[in-house]
Amino acid sequence: MVEKSSVNRLAIAAAVVGTAILAAVPLFVAGYGISSGITIFANVALATAWAFFSGPTRYISLATASFVGIGMYTVVVAGTVVPLSIALVLAALIGFFIALVVGLSTLRLSGVYFVIFTFGLTELMFQLATWYEISYSRRLTRFMPPNLAGLDSAVIYEILLFAMVVALAATWYVGRTRLGQALRAIGEDETVARHTGINTTLVKVFVFAVASAMMAFIGGTLALRLPYITPSIAFNPTWSFQVLIAALLGGPGFFWGPAVGAIPLVLLSDYFAGRFPYHFSIALGVCFVIIVYLIPGGIAPRLAGWYRRLAATEGARQIRDRFATLRHDLSLWRRTVLRPRLRGVRRKAPPALQTGDNPAQVPLLRVTDLRKAFGGLVAVRDLSFDIPKGSIVGLIGPNGSGKTTVLNLITGELVPDSGSILLNGEEIIGAMSYQVNRARIARTFQLVRVLPGMTTRENVALGRMFGSDPVTASAASKEVNDLLERVGLSGHAGQFGAQLTYIDQKRVELARALATHPQLLLLDEWLAGLNPTELKIGIELIRQISREGVTIVLVEHVMEAIRALCQHVVVMNAGERIAEGTPAEVLSDPRVMQVYLGEDDAAA
Amino acid sequence: MLEVILNGLVLGGMYGLIALGLNLQFGIARMLNLSYGEFFMYGAFLALFALTWYQLNPLLGAVVAVPLAFAINWLIYRYLFQPLIRRAPNRDALDADIVLVTFGLLFVFRGIAEVNLSGNAAGYDFLNFGVHIFGAIVPANRLLAFAVSMVLGGALIVMLRRTRFGSALRAIAIDPTAAGLIGINVQQLSALAFALGGALIAVSGVLVSTFTTVSAGIGIVYTLKALIIVIVGGPGRMGGALAAGILLGVAETVALQFASGLTLAINYAILILVLLIRPTGLFARG
Repeated sequence: MVEKSSVNRLAIAAAVVGTAILAAVPLFVAGYGISSGITIFANVALATAWAFFSGPTRYISLATASFVGIGMYTVVVAGTVVPLSIALVLAALIGFFIALVVGLSTLRLSGVYFVIFTFGLTELMFQLATWYEISYSRRLTRFMPPNLAGLDSAVIYEILLFAMVVALAATWYVGRTRLGQALRAIGEDETVARHTGINTTLVKVFVFAVASAMMAFIGGTLALRLPYITPSIAFNPTWSFQVLIAALLGGPGFFWGPAVGAIPLVLLSDYFAGRFPYHFSIALGVCFVIIVYLIPGGIAPRLAGWYRRLAATEGARQIRDRFATLRHDLSLWRRTVLRPRLRGVRRKAPPALQTGDNPAQVPLLRVTDLRKAFGGLVAVRDLSFDIPKGSIVGLIGPNGSGKTTVLNLITGELVPDSGSILLNGEEIIGAMSYQVNRARIARTFQLVRVLPGMTTRENVALGRMFGSDPVTASAASKEVNDLLERVGLSGHAGQFGAQLTYIDQKRVELARALATHPQLLLLDEWLAGLNPTELKIGIELIRQISREGVTIVLVEHVMEAIRALCQHVVVMNAGERIAEGTPAEVLSDPRVMQVYLGEDDAAA
Repeated sequence: MLEVILNGLVLGGMYGLIALGLNLQFGIARMLNLSYGEFFMYGAFLALFALTWYQLNPLLGAVVAVPLAFAINWLIYRYLFQPLIRRAPNRDALDADIVLVTFGLLFVFRGIAEVNLSGNAAGYDFLNFGVHIFGAIVPANRLLAFAVSMVLGGALIVMLRRTRFGSALRAIAIDPTAAGLIGINVQQLSALAFALGGALIAVSGVLVSTFTTVSAGIGIVYTLKALIIVIVGGPGRMGGALAAGILLGVAETVALQFASGLTLAINYAILILVLLIRPTGLFARG
């Protein structure tokens, strides 16, 4: 870790120096250089702002031009009455709030709806602006207010440089916070994100609004170069298109990716627009298709690969060692000369553990008359059962009897038609999945859901960073190691979810669930598919977890495990409870034998 | 008021027609094609050329437009989409790739039209006389578009319900993997459905060109309208698309009495309302 952070410090220092040099350029250069700078900064900033939201979440936004246009109109209209700085802040604010509205109406739904909505947003804004101008102001052209017209282009250059640095820094910084991990988890698998305690809607809408605010700010600045604006100049879909290409060419998975893509694109389109103005959009369209086919993921991952290979060479190692020594000396100096500062202090104390006043009488979970129908199919029919605190309860029944539906109803993935689910005597129906998770109910999925593009460690850490008692990534580290050790994954910590075997993926899921600190753990056929030795280890692991005070619901077909672990078993068939009791009782019940084996075999 | 509603109905029928093709592409073949409306634009231009270059009945433009759109859409599916389908690790990644590729195609198609055809932007007169229905006057060219849309919509519904091809398509719409497991050639049939969708939007372009101005940039608006109608009607539901089209047409015509130039805003308002109340579409099952 020492080496990595010294490289980071070096990169930050280089970035600061680079920014200072760029900021000083207008002192020595004028004309074409400045105007190239403006175009490049604007494109890099917009592409980075686009990837700020769309990169990690993989929600494709085609609405960049809408926010650019909103910024332009804000500056032109507000610029007559307030100073430029306030007009630009206003542009960002308006962009933010419009994005909130758009986000709230579409981001709750699947990604396709978001694409469709943003696809038309620019056209919609264009139409609204045209309609307003024609009906009320009775002219389509708005001239730049005199105090802003003819602004020195060096000023525009500096503002856009600022915007670019802010966009890059924000993307870089957020990428290493809990918020960044939450965004990545949403992009990988939104259901898992919700079940790990992430308020996905809030995260998505907020980040989308921040990205849009940046775009509106940049758009407002770009307006300063124009003598006048019309609806078709402000809401020009080419912005959405060009920014998207830049981000995809560079690679939205890296914070510096869109920048890498934007620079060649600006140069190329300058060349093209000059020579073949009419073929410009065809050329861009073809570029687009080529990128999707030939460089999916963009240039950035390839550059990163080359860099890693370069960094592995002997020469690079020596340079690194030298920097490490330098850094060591520096830190020694800081620790002895400067005042030492506290690190990793937790912001808030963990909430006190809820201790039921009367555990014998109030069950941890009480399900009463639960009902859920899908069209005409009643998947869960008036089901009631209790889960006493500290117990291991088996929930068994033939395939299709509604077991997984029950788990989905408890975790808020589905909303029941009627009935109640009380956790420590409190109703949890209506709570969202992330809230249920924060109320300390965790689950694993029958069809394993490991986040494929995150490592084993990141998968598990996610649970600790959200869940009921969230901490930062670094604070989670030790506990994550322990959990990995516990489920037997220490050797696979750095492997990506997609590379793991099926059994190891199941282990990741269990560790991730445990990392959220559950009081109730719902295991959906977690033992299915294990070989006899693994089964023995698995049963022992569940017993161990139970001993530590976690209440467990075991949905399972492996009767050996049910017999070994459960004090109490609920048997379901066709959505109804058909038997209940100790494992020995229910497994010898003729009705249970009948549903498992069929009429004839049960009689025989 | 009757005239307004009647005109809304007729406009809505035409919207239904525009959405039918996208419903085949998006609802059944599951490909979100953002370049969809560009084939509308080409269909409209071919009708215009049939009249202005060859002094033919503009509807004969369909003779060229329909097979051409069918072929191009089939090629798009076969040679652009199938490599992506094979490559994609999951459905979401595929959706994203398809969106990006068709967004690129949108600009290619539109750019080609801008370079070659932008000088020809025009409207023309065809069947431009009023027909009296229940005391209200409806232009004949619009009535024709409405009638064709109802016939094609009906034919599609019967095809999906009654033929083996249709059953296979419905199976694909519900679960492509399961459809493959029972011996349906999913890729071949999806390609056909996608191509058929392209042919349908070309027909709409030919018909609608009889009463709108044709220009290189009109495609995107029709893609949007079609998308909104398909979502409101419930993806894959042909009857739903026709009904949603009529709903949109009537709402638009009525609202335009009060504020003209806001068609898209009205469409969006309806879309948002539906998404908030019934995200699966007004006419979807379950």
